[in-house]
Amino acid sequence: MRGPREVPILQIEQLAVAYATRHGDVAAVRDVSFEIHRAQTFGIVGESGCGKSTVAFGMVNFLGRNGRITGGRILFQGQDLVKRSELELRKLRGDRIAMVYQDPMQALNPAMTLGDQMAEVLIVHRSMKRSAAMERCKQMLERVYMPDPASVMRRYPHQISGGQQQRIVIAMALLNDPALLIMDEPTTALDVTVEAAVLDLINDLQNEFDTAIMYISHNLGVIARVSDEIGVMYAGEMVERADVKDIFARPSHPYTLGLLRCIPRLDTTKRSTTLQPIRGRVPSPTALPPGCIFEPRCPFARPACSHQPIPMREIQPGHWARCLYAEEILEHKDDLSDDMVNIIIGVAPKTDNGGPILRVKEAKTYYPVASKQIIGGQKQYVKAVDNVSMEAMPGRTLGIVGESGCGKSTLVKTIIGLEKLSGGEIEFMGMDISTPVSKRSEALIKDLQMVFQNPDSTLNPSFSVGYQIARPLRRFKTVPRNQVRDEVIRLLNMMRLGENYYGRLPRQLSGGEKQRVAIARAIAAQPKLVLCDEPVSALDVSVQAAVLNLLLEIQQQLGTTMVFIAHDLSVVRFFCDHLAVMYLGQIAEIGPAEAIYLPPYHPYTEALLSAVPIPDPSAEQKHIRLGGSVPSALNPPTGCRFHTRCPRRAMLPDGGAICEREDPPAQFDTDQHRIYCHIPLEELRKMEAVVTIEKEGPHVG
Amino acid sequence: MLVKDYMTKHPPMAEPKMSVVEVQRQMSENNVRYLPVVGDGKRLLGLITPQSMLIDPRRMASLNVWDITRLLSDLKVKDIMIKIRSVITIDPDTPIEQAAQVMVENRVGCLPVVQEGIVVGVITETDLLDHLSKMMSGNMSGVRVTIRMPMIKGELAKLVGVIAQAGWGIDAMGGALCVKDAKKWDAVVKIRASKEEVVAALSAISSQEIIDVREV
Repeated sequence: MRGPREVPILQIEQLAVAYATRHGDVAAVRDVSFEIHRAQTFGIVGESGCGKSTVAFGMVNFLGRNGRITGGRILFQGQDLVKRSELELRKLRGDRIAMVYQDPMQALNPAMTLGDQMAEVLIVHRSMKRSAAMERCKQMLERVYMPDPASVMRRYPHQISGGQQQRIVIAMALLNDPALLIMDEPTTALDVTVEAAVLDLINDLQNEFDTAIMYISHNLGVIARVSDEIGVMYAGEMVERADVKDIFARPSHPYTLGLLRCIPRLDTTKRSTTLQPIRGRVPSPTALPPGCIFEPRCPFARPACSHQPIPMREIQPGHWARCLYAEEILEHKDDLSDDMVNIIIGVAPKTDNGGPILRVKEAKTYYPVASKQIIGGQKQYVKAVDNVSMEAMPGRTLGIVGESGCGKSTLVKTIIGLEKLSGGEIEFMGMDISTPVSKRSEALIKDLQMVFQNPDSTLNPSFSVGYQIARPLRRFKTVPRNQVRDEVIRLLNMMRLGENYYGRLPRQLSGGEKQRVAIARAIAAQPKLVLCDEPVSALDVSVQAAVLNLLLEIQQQLGTTMVFIAHDLSVVRFFCDHLAVMYLGQIAEIGPAEAIYLPPYHPYTEALLSAVPIPDPSAEQKHIRLGGSVPSALNPPTGCRFHTRCPRRAMLPDGGAICEREDPPAQFDTDQHRIYCHIPLEELRKMEAVVTIEKEGPHVG
Repeated sequence: MLVKDYMTKHPPMAEPKMSVVEVQRQMSENNVRYLPVVGDGKRLLGLITPQSMLIDPRRMASLNVWDITRLLSDLKVKDIMIKIRSVITIDPDTPIEQAAQVMVENRVGCLPVVQEGIVVGVITETDLLDHLSKMMSGNMSGVRVTIRMPMIKGELAKLVGVIAQAGWGIDAMGGALCVKDAKKWDAVVKIRASKEEVVAALSAISSQEIIDVREV
């Protein structure tokens, strides 16, 4: 805008960071350059292990004992931060640069009240008086839209929710009015509705404080929402850098294109598109390819790519890419086909006759809680699952979504028998299975298998992959004893792992490979129903695409029914035929996946959809934010459980007094689509669609 | 239109112990002429201005070239800065015209913006000029007309009434006492219309006089 304002707050030039290891220096970050201007957000996106956080740590020299900056310059307002003394850096960090990290609980001292630890910043850094400092903190909490700041300041960190903790950390970071704010995955640990609110807050504050923000995330949707400019990192190098709209409309590096093509989007289903995972894996920093670092995985690689390192070049004003053929990438986007693509067209056209394979009827799972009184007192229950009814059709996928703490996992654990059913019925293929797993017959256990969220904790670290997959085969006698090994190898091949994985131990596998082994183990017994509890949420997007494709393929080949839990609404939309939206132990809306994403919506579904970060800056999304957090399941609100946060309550006469008194009735939109709400269906039908994505846009995917 | 809306937030800052050579580089890198000098917690300690960077040549006259180099490299910010007691500062909640007045009266080109002793920004001549340019929508095109009117209640309303009747909007407006005649007031109005239409409509007001019309 004006002379002095054009000078960036932060300028990074050819930064290189190395970690000293037993095998010599490992160059974790090489040749990274970018700049951030005032009141701008620079987003850094990439998969895990590509050096995003190392850049952030390098800037303030938090690299730890073995890390050091081996080259380049970091100019903060014209001052070079490299080779600064520890003392000078500490002063800068306190006064002018602030950081917010992923886990707010680690940034807060559990033994101090929130007010005390916030005020400490001001008392120490600015030698303010305690009372004045407290007053400032209260004002800052109001700025970050913290409800009832005075009482929050008297509480301890564990007494507030994760979203509120992150608000406190952001408020603390802003207390010193920093010129640069570094945010490293600040919303990754939060629920989608809370995440949306925190992202809104970041945008507001940036306008007000004129702060330059460096925002690191693995989630393209989040990055698209907050950033002005984006840098894509891969294996320690920045491979593409451009304006946010340019990156999504005209990705010019094959890796960026690959990333965009392997994420499910809200407007896609498994019938309309296939996800295209990026083959291979990120090279280890000790064994980098001699030429282009992406060459081994690149579908467009040509001989020239492997000769020498590729420099970053400006292909359009302001659009930089590290690719020799950047101009041609977009033209080729359609021939990016993988052999997997052809297999998954037209998924499981199973007929629905024969009725549901799984029928859950008014299921209740209660956890008893000790009474607060020492003697006597009424026993209290946490109603984790309360009156849930649903069905899963054979060969189809039923998705369950909801915020954390809504009872998704408990429901699935109850179905498989790991939790005791407190009331209601669960029927599987016509049999009653409301018994715990220890009392179930072997045949039943064989037919019901589960894939867990974290493969690290479900694979035994001391047994080989082959042994672990063979175990259910032996136990359930799926194949004769002498064919077990062949069967395991067949399963490994089906998981695209290959025979040489047979003897490996879990620690020798990557996260995606471990999850594939876990899936292989679950389907080894040829179950009728597989329950998947967030099987892809711990994985990187390119790996996630491969695992989702694999699950689809299995379903198509074996006709397995799946119950799929996820918090990511785009993944669920892509993967599921039917969908149940849960809130506080109850179902809010259930129906065919397409129907859930279009009006009529349950108000909660509407809010969830409007919070999903969409990896497309041109998509339009309604702005609905839920206030407060999920109420306690120990003492759920009466009537409709959503009434305390419902943004649509005002549509009813008397401001929705009925919502507090009576349970919402099931309203049938079609015979499969039920919405539990007091608002008449006609009114709900009048709502507009939450997300509109231009179909004719130049975007890929 | 307060200081806090026009100041530069997060200005580059210097510390008393920094060498002048380094500060000189920092100023040219950031393209600024003034640097507030701060201690812990951005507490204001002084100000570096273009004048403080000037070193009296007479001090150098008796030195040889090596002595000059040493003198320069030993020079610290605290040796050349204007000390806090002589620095004129301003509060972020001050109206911008008051900041301008302070600057004019004291003949300074930069005011550190300070809240409770802590630097929250700086405001310079350039910021004021930016304000002036924005106030007059300097970057927009239209007809810019200057009208001289007597200082009587209701005159401005007449002018606005005529413009409103013609169906035009006012893009920008400013006014000041006439320099030569203290009983008159000059108003500058920017309108999106053609020059002839504007002249025709505004000459209808008998008590007012069009001083200047131009398309910009």
